[in-house]
Amino acid sequence: MTPEFILGCIILIIGVIAAGFPREKTYLARLIHLEIPGFGLLLIMLAYDEMLALLTFIGVTAISTFVLVRVIERKEAAE
Amino acid sequence: MEIAYPVGLVVVAAAIIIGFTALVREKDDLQRILLVDLAEVLGLVLIALVATDLAEALILPGLVVGISELLAVSEVYIAREGLKEPTGPAFRLEVMESAPGILALILVAHGIILSGFTGGAIAAVGAVFYFMCRGHNEQFELIETVSGYAWAIWIAAFLIFMFLPQYWFFGVMMAGGAILVKVMAKMSLVGTMRRGGPDV
Repeated sequence: MTPEFILGCIILIIGVIAAGFPREKTYLARLIHLEIPGFGLLLIMLAYDEMLALLTFIGVTAISTFVLVRVIERKEAAE
Repeated sequence: MEIAYPVGLVVVAAAIIIGFTALVREKDDLQRILLVDLAEVLGLVLIALVATDLAEALILPGLVVGISELLAVSEVYIAREGLKEPTGPAFRLEVMESAPGILALILVAHGIILSGFTGGAIAAVGAVFYFMCRGHNEQFELIETVSGYAWAIWIAAFLIFMFLPQYWFFGVMMAGGAILVKVMAKMSLVGTMRRGGPDV
């Protein structure tokens, strides 16, 4: 039970609640809230020294944000 | 360290219950796609708790499958809803004009030093960023050709492992370089999908 692990678990739970039931239910708010559980996952990976997985997760998150922003901007332009 | 695994499992179980409750109660399809991304993170936490090299070996393909699934689902959503590209003046940021050159150079150099699959991914992020910010007018046939040759070199490296094991170091270098080029060529295609023209 390292401090990183405990902090990661707490941030994960907070992030899941924040992303699942955001106060403002806009697409962008939910997309930003999705970063919080991602950070919890990063801290848990850090606690277990999973360096490769951590770096790849950061890279893939950047791309998935681009993909989701592309869909959201088209959806909001259509509304 | 023994107590961490059950505690982690309880935390993930609670998170999965909360996340899937949100998913079930959600009516809007695009919000559901966002919540599927959340479910992917929870699955990765579950794997990360294994805490060995096996966890890393499972997380890497999980991430790749996750991103390709997200790409496919978002494309299907755009096609089904018939969403068009937004009209009007394009979004302009000063930093997107000046940063790509140096940032892409740093990322590609770092990726080449890392080599292998991860190096390819890092270098590809640099290429994706460059294409997204600066636009693109390259020939896709060239990228496909390079990627095909890289795949052939990768296979040749495995043949060296099998038939000439004494040259294993040469095989490692071939496989590492080839998978770098392969992953980078494939992933840099992602960067070309935004707006589809040089006028980003």
